[in-house]
Amino acid sequence: MDLNSVSQILDFAIEKEEEAAQFYRDLAAKMSQQHVGEVFESFAREEMGHKAKLIAVKRGDMTLIDSQRVTDMKIGDHLAEIVLSPDLDYKQALIVAMKAEKAAFQLYQGLASATDDANLKGILLTLAKEEARHKLRFEIEYEENFLREN
Amino acid sequence: MFRVIASKMIVPNMHLLTLAAPAVAREAKPGQFVILRAEEEGERVPLSLSDWDAQSGTITVVFMSIGSTTGRLALLAPGASIPTVVGPLGNATEIENYGTVVCVCGCYGIGSIFPIARALKRKGNRVITIMEARSSYLFYWEERLEAVSDKIIHITRDGTKGHRGHAGRLPEILRGLEEPVDRIIANGCTFLMKRTSDETRPLGIKTMVSLNPIMIDGTGMCGVCRVTVGSVTRFACVHGPDFDAHQVDWEELLQRRKTYMPEEVVPLRTSRCEERHLRSQEGKS
Amino acid sequence: MPKQPPEVRRYNFNEVALGYSAESAVEEAKRCIQCKKPLCVPMCPVEINIPGFIKCIAESDFIGAVRILKDKNCLPAVCGRVCPQEEQCEKTCVFHKKGGQIAIGRLERFLADWEAEQRELEMPVILPSSGRKVAIVGGGPAGLTVAGDLIKLGHKVTVFEALHRMGGVLIYGIPEFRLPKVIVTREVEYLRTLGVELVTDFVVGKTRTIDSILEEFDAVFVGSGAGLPWFMEIPGENLNGVYSANEYLTRLNLMKGFLFPKYHTPVKSHRRVAVVGGGNVAMDCARSALRLGAESRIIYRRSREELPARLEEVENAEEEGVIFDFLTLPLRYIGDENGWVKAIECQKMELGEPDASGRRKPIPIEGSEVIYPLDAVVCAIGNSPNPLIGATTPGLKIGKKGNIEADEKTGATSREKIWAGGDVVTGAATVILAMGAGRFAARSIHEYLCSL
Repeated sequence: MDLNSVSQILDFAIEKEEEAAQFYRDLAAKMSQQHVGEVFESFAREEMGHKAKLIAVKRGDMTLIDSQRVTDMKIGDHLAEIVLSPDLDYKQALIVAMKAEKAAFQLYQGLASATDDANLKGILLTLAKEEARHKLRFEIEYEENFLREN
Repeated sequence: MFRVIASKMIVPNMHLLTLAAPAVAREAKPGQFVILRAEEEGERVPLSLSDWDAQSGTITVVFMSIGSTTGRLALLAPGASIPTVVGPLGNATEIENYGTVVCVCGCYGIGSIFPIARALKRKGNRVITIMEARSSYLFYWEERLEAVSDKIIHITRDGTKGHRGHAGRLPEILRGLEEPVDRIIANGCTFLMKRTSDETRPLGIKTMVSLNPIMIDGTGMCGVCRVTVGSVTRFACVHGPDFDAHQVDWEELLQRRKTYMPEEVVPLRTSRCEERHLRSQEGKS
Repeated sequence: MPKQPPEVRRYNFNEVALGYSAESAVEEAKRCIQCKKPLCVPMCPVEINIPGFIKCIAESDFIGAVRILKDKNCLPAVCGRVCPQEEQCEKTCVFHKKGGQIAIGRLERFLADWEAEQRELEMPVILPSSGRKVAIVGGGPAGLTVAGDLIKLGHKVTVFEALHRMGGVLIYGIPEFRLPKVIVTREVEYLRTLGVELVTDFVVGKTRTIDSILEEFDAVFVGSGAGLPWFMEIPGENLNGVYSANEYLTRLNLMKGFLFPKYHTPVKSHRRVAVVGGGNVAMDCARSALRLGAESRIIYRRSREELPARLEEVENAEEEGVIFDFLTLPLRYIGDENGWVKAIECQKMELGEPDASGRRKPIPIEGSEVIYPLDAVVCAIGNSPNPLIGATTPGLKIGKKGNIEADEKTGATSREKIWAGGDVVTGAATVILAMGAGRFAARSIHEYLCSL
């Protein structure tokens, strides 16, 4: 894995988004409950959206905005790892997604600390923040739907 | 109210109850169960269906008289009624033409495996039934099982019939068949099923069991029947009761089944006479 | 409203609120100024003519009041007790600003209880038989409301209930001390006298599918509720002593386990119980545990202000001695060598920066882990609809949360002849909202049946 230039890093990230989309698509196909399958399909589409954004960044049509700190709600952290099975429900689907995004975040963070090149570090940290934002989006949805005690 | 059509003890401590429950009889399939209450104050208990007749609208359950509710069910006479019979619950046992299927059963499992063996035979399988008990006088429904099995093998603790021993003899018995076995189904108490699972895991033969955790509603509402199968929590009443034996967390199931042992002994220790006496005292005060 | 004093009621399962006397009721009713454009009526999900029945009470015409009330509400004794009037009709009362809103809920309850004490119940007008048959799946508030409305319109109605008693959450979820079961039985019997056929021990989807039922009935209403319990998905959840709120409450309420061993369903005597959650269900569990003799605590992720439970029930719980641990999040259950839960490890939370909606979200505080020793935990964090109906009814569109998709105004689903309403559509909500949904669906079903 050669990550010596911004271009190579973006290629890597684009590849990762495609992998994530495929991961969700594979899960969607296996779900025994159709509505949960649809949830994973929607996650797959979101990843494709991220991929498209990174392609645009690589082309120079967009820049990755490095905004302020992304909140970490830490919702998924203490939850037990969800064993992937066809009988997942919506709640578990969100946990799977949260943990996957966290793993991606940690990947970029790790890569960022492994390099001394300020430019590369910068883009890697920005990509990490993007993943943190994705994780937050799932955490918010989980909170809205499952931490509201009805 | 559901009327008792037949009630008898078939072998010591093993009871058969036939009840009028037309809606259940119409839909019943092998491997499913019903939830019963013996009386208004009674608990809800799950019992596997051992037979049914859609035409006459009756179902038959076979159970061991082992606790307060099964004790009361055992005492019912034909003509009596019980307040609750709901079902058929749970998923039916998967019945396909697998080839050769070995049905391992013991105590109440002998009753519940009968409709499964029957369906397997009808589907074209070669059915070998292995019945296990402490002693030969505890076997029942042998004619029924002979009618739906290509071979019957017995195992008894005291050696009074068939092989001497228990489920630990399975690998040797299976080898002795000198034919490939495509699937194993085990019904009976937790220990029989667990032991069967332990013995068949190294043989790599798919083994299905009918789990028996504590239940209340039987429709997925309370979660007390949760079992861990392949590291995933499952509700035995809606995802089961059949599961892949080799994936079941047996220790957890055994531990969870003990939850009410202290409370369940109390009703057993209070005799009917004492109950009546206490009730008459309540009426006076 | 007179209540049992907390130090007495924490030891019994009798009803907490003691109800108005006739004098108090009349006095309260006279305070209503009979607004020309009443602000209370639009807030009632079942459109009760509130000023109408209050006026009758003020004039001591209780029979007239009951007639008006029962015209729109077939479960008034239930609603008078569990409806969150403080969020609905009482909130918009013109007197609300000064804290002196008319006690609409208590008056409703008074009327229903008064009527129950009368020997003769007045029968409403029932239209001649239409020759049409409606099946209702679920004997909870939504289903019972549809039953009550449609039977009066002359249709033949059969309610299929999975459990052995009618009532749904009214019978298994809400405890005796908030809603005595004898009241639920009475309201259900009233429906039977109107001609509704009540079938218990019948699991639609297992005993018969909806499609099989449609071969015999002209329409089906699904009111199967939200009975699938949520667990926290944290390590240790299958230890002995960890209950879902449904299990805990069903043992106590439906199976009357608090009278064990007279009633045979066992209920354990715990010494220390923790209930995770902050809604009415959590309050019910905590207050029940207290009554069974345990030290009872609520563990809630957020602060007191954000508790979704009715304020009245929170205050009752506090008075009775339930301990509240706010801004606390369970991380894992800790078990002993026999597989019993012996403690729960939690983390303390703080409210973080406001998000886009302006609400502050709880964030865990690093290193703030705390361990509570206990012998039982009740998970009361919510429920979703049971997937059985969706799985056994082809073509019925199910939403991502497992709920049946239904039109907000009519309850119509993606399948012709099938309507749905209540928790199975919205996710767990209140009794009165379920009844409101039932009301709308009944109207739509009636229109459909008349068009046949």
